[in-house]
Amino acid sequence: MYRHIHALQQVARRTISSSVRRQLDNKVQNKQKLFQEDNGIPVHLKGGVSDALLYRTTMMLTVVGAGYVVYELVKAAFPRNKT
Amino acid sequence: MAHQAHAYHMVDPSPWPLTGAISALLMTSGLATTFHYKTTTLLFLGTTLLLLTMFQWWRDIIRESTFQGHHTTSVQKGHGYGMVLFITSEVFFFIGFFWAFYHSSLAPAIELGGLWPPTGITPLDPFEVPLLNTAVLLASGVTVTWAHHSIIEGARKPALQSLTLTVLLGLYFTALQAMEYYEAPFTLADGVYGCTFFVATGFHGLHVIIGTTFLMVCLLRHTHYHFTSKHHFGFEAAAWYWHFVDVVWLFLYISIYWWGS
Repeated sequence: MYRHIHALQQVARRTISSSVRRQLDNKVQNKQKLFQEDNGIPVHLKGGVSDALLYRTTMMLTVVGAGYVVYELVKAAFPRNKT
Repeated sequence: MAHQAHAYHMVDPSPWPLTGAISALLMTSGLATTFHYKTTTLLFLGTTLLLLTMFQWWRDIIRESTFQGHHTTSVQKGHGYGMVLFITSEVFFFIGFFWAFYHSSLAPAIELGGLWPPTGITPLDPFEVPLLNTAVLLASGVTVTWAHHSIIEGARKPALQSLTLTVLLGLYFTALQAMEYYEAPFTLADGVYGCTFFVATGFHGLHVIIGTTFLMVCLLRHTHYHFTSKHHFGFEAAAWYWHFVDVVWLFLYISIYWWGS
């Protein structure tokens, strides 16, 4: 039984270390090239399309949220109760 | 292309201070509408916006530093001052709750039976899970220091291992504390004892979760080669915060768990 456990350990170790080596190469230089490109794009949009999507979602929630707060505050300040 | 004649960082215009401010407005008004009308929409919207703001703001700081090189020594020094001042403000936040605890426990009111713990309260045994929690956090202080030394020495594998261990210990503390909360024979509603206990330990627990998250981000960054042996301020800031969380626990343990039983 111990031989099986030892074999399993070896397989797991080799699998983990080889997949780790594949996924975690140093990509910092590529990122540095992308973010230092002289294109005038501000840092919060410089990463690409996903940046713009996330920004637009956030800003939409901000505007809708601000409007909704004003609505709720007006509703709370001028209650429409009939008693 | 224009070049600056100083060592400081003039940041690009950013929308995150606005979205952050609006999220604060939404969260506070959301608390009010939740309490009064039981509608959680505003609160939920505010929290979502807060999380989006934090993610994008800190993502941008990583881009500005690791990818664009804006964090000179002077900039790092400023960040150091900032972090120290922030942690100091948090210390004062906790001082308030310790003040409340000592105010009520040093001269227990007649309504409590004139003693501490008050009549009817069975406190937790300080030498059971609370002592384990103390050991867990102290050990995590050791592992985070080990991680720091490993990063300085350029020892990648020990750095990743010790940082992972630190995060695991943080999660273990949170799990143990959650179990203690569930099993406790007293609640938040149990007079001034319950109030001081759960508010003080509760805010501490929240800070453990924040600290663990900060360390997890550092772990992720280190796996992606963001830190060098000479430049890793994000990690240092996380380590300072973690030590602060540890020290607060030690005060909590001595005051509330041990003396307070």
